[in-house]
Amino acid sequence: MIAETSSIVYEGLAGIIYKTGAKTLISRAHTFEEIQQSCAKRRCELIIINPSFVQNNVKPFHTLKNQFENLKWIGLVYAYYDQSLLSLFDAAINISDSSEMISAVVQKALDHTPLKHSHAEDVLSDREIDILKLLTTGLANKEIADKLNISVNTVITHRKNISHKTGIKSVSGLTIYAVVKKLITLENLTE
Amino acid sequence: MSDVIINNPYLMLLLEHFGIDVPLQEKTMHEVCCDNNINTEIFLTFANLYNRNNYVPKAPFSFTDVLTIVTYLKNSHKYYSEEIYPNILSTIKQMNELNTHKEMALVEKFFGTYFSEVKEHLDYENKTVFPYILELIEKIENPDYPMRQTNFSVDEYQEHHNDIEEKLDDLKNLLIKYLPQKNDQILRRKLLFSLFELEYDLNIHSQIEDLILIPLVGKIESHLKKKK
Repeated sequence: MIAETSSIVYEGLAGIIYKTGAKTLISRAHTFEEIQQSCAKRRCELIIINPSFVQNNVKPFHTLKNQFENLKWIGLVYAYYDQSLLSLFDAAINISDSSEMISAVVQKALDHTPLKHSHAEDVLSDREIDILKLLTTGLANKEIADKLNISVNTVITHRKNISHKTGIKSVSGLTIYAVVKKLITLENLTE
Repeated sequence: MSDVIINNPYLMLLLEHFGIDVPLQEKTMHEVCCDNNINTEIFLTFANLYNRNNYVPKAPFSFTDVLTIVTYLKNSHKYYSEEIYPNILSTIKQMNELNTHKEMALVEKFFGTYFSEVKEHLDYENKTVFPYILELIEKIENPDYPMRQTNFSVDEYQEHHNDIEEKLDDLKNLLIKYLPQKNDQILRRKLLFSLFELEYDLNIHSQIEDLILIPLVGKIESHLKKKK
């Protein structure tokens, strides 16, 4: 994803990346909120971001960074920014960089992404499956927490990850998912 | 005007919700709006919502514009409850007949329950919120008008306003990612297209309510309070 307000810069950079033959889909964000929304909606590996987006959003930026640990951040620098701001990113692209340099930076960031091009990221962990099973029996977060001896917050985090991976938020939708994946059988379902 | 629709056929829904009939002939947008007694500013604002992501409506609307907005929303409710939701439900039923996986039966139940939730929400708006708003307008024109719903306020409506798009997303994900396919390719595609159509319209519907209707009704409420 490229977070950049200037269309000239965005189109140019996207063009360069596509030209390198990268098998990737580039989307665009105009505001910090848009970055947050799209991160929550679909999986994103790399964000190339104009540092001005982060300047007034340092705190939410850190939250986002912690929430999506595998996500790489590359600063897109064409104005003066404080070093402390630039150090928040994994790498940087300068406006005067050649296409080769840009594609090298992008490639490097993508190569270091663990589990790249693997479906493992979307597969639920054992713990998440435990929680999903309990959810489908109609238990509330608090009841699940008590049953597994974990905090309600942990349950909520697991639920968020489950929804993020499957794209399904409602319990009734997740129940259908669990049946398809043979995690539960129809007989287990309480009407 | 017609080229606007040709550029984005989803705007056919916009026309329908405004009660504008085709053919549009060679008329301009302004002419079409005048013929149908619609404030061109409202039409343009809604059209912009349909055409652009993240469009923020700016035009200052007058209190009486609320009448047009309510009529528009009522018409779209009709499209939801009498057309698109029933269509989707019947497509799911047909799929269920072809694809005998037990999961499909669950999907039918899932959508049936969801549809009743939506109907309940639409009913609430039709029977409680909209009449209340129309009474407010009546009250502006005639200060002695006795309001039937004196305790209600737009804040309460805002709280009641839950996210009905969530389960559509769930269903899309199930259809694309998980539900086993069996003889149902064409129906599944049709179903997905209808889901996207519905989602597109619902999304704009809730933007109209959140960004235009609710703030405007809030203004009317404080205007009436001041007068007291």
